[in-house]
Amino acid sequence: MSQIIMKQKKKSPVNALTAIILSAILPGAGQIAALRIRRGLLLLGSVLSIGGLLLWRIQVLGRLAEGFWPTLFKALDKAGFFVGFGLLAFTFLWIWIAVDAGRQTNPKKQYGNSIFFLILLVFFTIGWQISEISILKLTSDANEAWVPLSKILWPWESAVTRDTDTLQGSADIMVDSEGEPPAMPVKEEGLPYIRSEPNFGRLSSLDEDNEIIPGTRITLYGENFAPNTRTQIWWSDSIGNEFRPRFKGEYVSTVTDADGSFELEMIMPYRLIPPSARGIQIHQVMARQVSEIGPLKPSEPLILTIELIIETIFMGMMATLFGILFSVPISFLAARNLMSSSPITMAIYYITRTILNIVRAIEPLIWALIAVVWVGLGPFAGIVALTIHSIAALGKLYSEAIEGINPGPIEAIQATGANKLQTIMFAVVPQMIPPFVSFTIYRWDINVRMSTVIGMVGGGGIGFLLVQYIRLLEYRSAGIAVWFIAITVSILDYVSAEIRQRFV
Amino acid sequence: MLEIQNLSKVYPDGTQALKNVSFTVEDGEFLVIIGLSGSGKSTLLRCINRLVDPTEGQILFDGKDVTAAEGTELRLIRRKIGMIFQHFNLVDRSNVLTNVLSGKLGYTNPWSSLMHRFPSESKEEALRALRKVGIEDQKNKRADELSGGQRQRVGIARALMQNPSMVLADEPVASLDPVLAHTILGYIEQLNQENHISVLCSLHYLDLVQRYATKVIGLKDGEIVYRGTREDIQSMTDEQFKEIYGEEAERVSAGTLSGGIH
Repeated sequence: MSQIIMKQKKKSPVNALTAIILSAILPGAGQIAALRIRRGLLLLGSVLSIGGLLLWRIQVLGRLAEGFWPTLFKALDKAGFFVGFGLLAFTFLWIWIAVDAGRQTNPKKQYGNSIFFLILLVFFTIGWQISEISILKLTSDANEAWVPLSKILWPWESAVTRDTDTLQGSADIMVDSEGEPPAMPVKEEGLPYIRSEPNFGRLSSLDEDNEIIPGTRITLYGENFAPNTRTQIWWSDSIGNEFRPRFKGEYVSTVTDADGSFELEMIMPYRLIPPSARGIQIHQVMARQVSEIGPLKPSEPLILTIELIIETIFMGMMATLFGILFSVPISFLAARNLMSSSPITMAIYYITRTILNIVRAIEPLIWALIAVVWVGLGPFAGIVALTIHSIAALGKLYSEAIEGINPGPIEAIQATGANKLQTIMFAVVPQMIPPFVSFTIYRWDINVRMSTVIGMVGGGGIGFLLVQYIRLLEYRSAGIAVWFIAITVSILDYVSAEIRQRFV
Repeated sequence: MLEIQNLSKVYPDGTQALKNVSFTVEDGEFLVIIGLSGSGKSTLLRCINRLVDPTEGQILFDGKDVTAAEGTELRLIRRKIGMIFQHFNLVDRSNVLTNVLSGKLGYTNPWSSLMHRFPSESKEEALRALRKVGIEDQKNKRADELSGGQRQRVGIARALMQNPSMVLADEPVASLDPVLAHTILGYIEQLNQENHISVLCSLHYLDLVQRYATKVIGLKDGEIVYRGTREDIQSMTDEQFKEIYGEEAERVSAGTLSGGIH
């Protein structure tokens, strides 16, 4: 009450004009002169930081231009709206602060705060530009994201598989070299057979403009394949690397006739021959029929995912267990009500608290990087990382639970003539159980969720597999892992909420 | 019999909570301590069972020196002194029966009690105690599910389990409404008259003091400023009562006091 009265009585030692001039020269100076010191400092700080940030962004946008004006024009050219708005708002702000300084000398008009909305608006505009937010990008390449996304969202086609049987015939082809063409393959009864005519030629290549120069047109003749079956064409270079040639973006393939024969024309594919390659280059063309045999069975990604999700859940459990074991004794050292009896114990309290806060501030992923160096790749590193973080987090939560204990029941039990142990069992433990269970379950929940990503840095668990699949562009397999993570985490959420509700 | 001689208590922060307090409680007495909050009532009661260690003076309980007792000896003294609290001090998450049984901890084998195992006689006794305060049907509820009055009855049943020869009651009805106050004090009076348990009780409504006390002492700033018998209290006037409470009390609690005086 008294504060408000005092503020209203505070009289400005300068008149409005002086304040306006002062603030026009240095924003905020007029407000300070009118004894609105905090407001003045805040405005001065805002103007300085906005000015600094604008200069920096203009410099970044106008990089490589020489001199002030060329830099500004280049920046205006690249991000006209941002730079224009920024400079206008900055000027406007400067003027407004001068006007505001005049108003501050009048005690009745001191409480205009809309100027701070303008300052916030400018800050968010700068933030928008610094973080390179681009609505355009969200939409322009959205269709690119759809293919992997759709595979991740519905990956179940790759969850099952069948054993396969392969029928294959191959023929040698001499490419890009002079000499005796290789021998024609020998036809054997009942075995798949193909030959190429001609069996020598030039591969497709690229000119200076990266335009394709088509290679030699060859005809493939195949016999003794399974009838009426799709047949894939594969190519193998001189060092045995296999790939599937494409024509107009589609893999080259054909379907055999009723006798199991085919005839197919194709252009020899593009393959970069290293300049160091010497002598005659022999490639191979192959025709392959892959047929599925036997019943459906879980695919390898599915099996791996299940194995690793189990590993992940147990990693979370083990880390929580170790976390409890270490954090319970530590939490006593970090409980103010237990440690406040002497300066030494208070010192221990502060040291413990500080260490816990530092350890907790470092994310488990970073601890995992350290743990991988310490104990090597694998789930144990993940457990070590999660344990360290859990000790710090649980230590703090438990110690707060100890601090929050009601001393009333303790003195009541003591008054009955109970000994120390009985007092702890009857008055302390019942009070500790709900927060203890609640925090532990909460931590377990966090640990399992964390162990799904801790594999990304080599800490074991499903994260490792997920990152691998994504890097190999196997989006369906990655999708299976994502689904299992999502299912596990939701079940865990539900279970932990249920348990907490029961105990608390 | 309880004898208190020259009892003083200075807290580590320098607060002098009790100054040279001396009085005796004969067996079967219902002694009421009155005084403002902060006058030392709670400290005095807690010194008697050594929840608070007195700085100076002596407390003799049935001839035993409470102030010198340690360890087992202290626990044996404590189990003969029941205690009832303003905020009940029940273990909220334990059920009513466990709360009552915890009054028996001083008599129970420590190891089996740690596993929450009590002899069947103790359980029967606990049920009898609950019946006595009229809440036997609540025995399996959690303590925090009960109403204030019910909770204080559990507190009384817990004290009863100790087979006490004395009960300390620290503002036992201050958290309850006036009707419940009479019920609860009625139970305490019943202990006093039927079981011949002496009672030390702090109160601050004059009509309650007049109704229940057989003897009164008044505390102000840790010193005894008033001693009265049952007859003295009956004739006590509003002004005398306010005198003990001090002039500040008049303004703060005038409404409550006048309500209690007529």
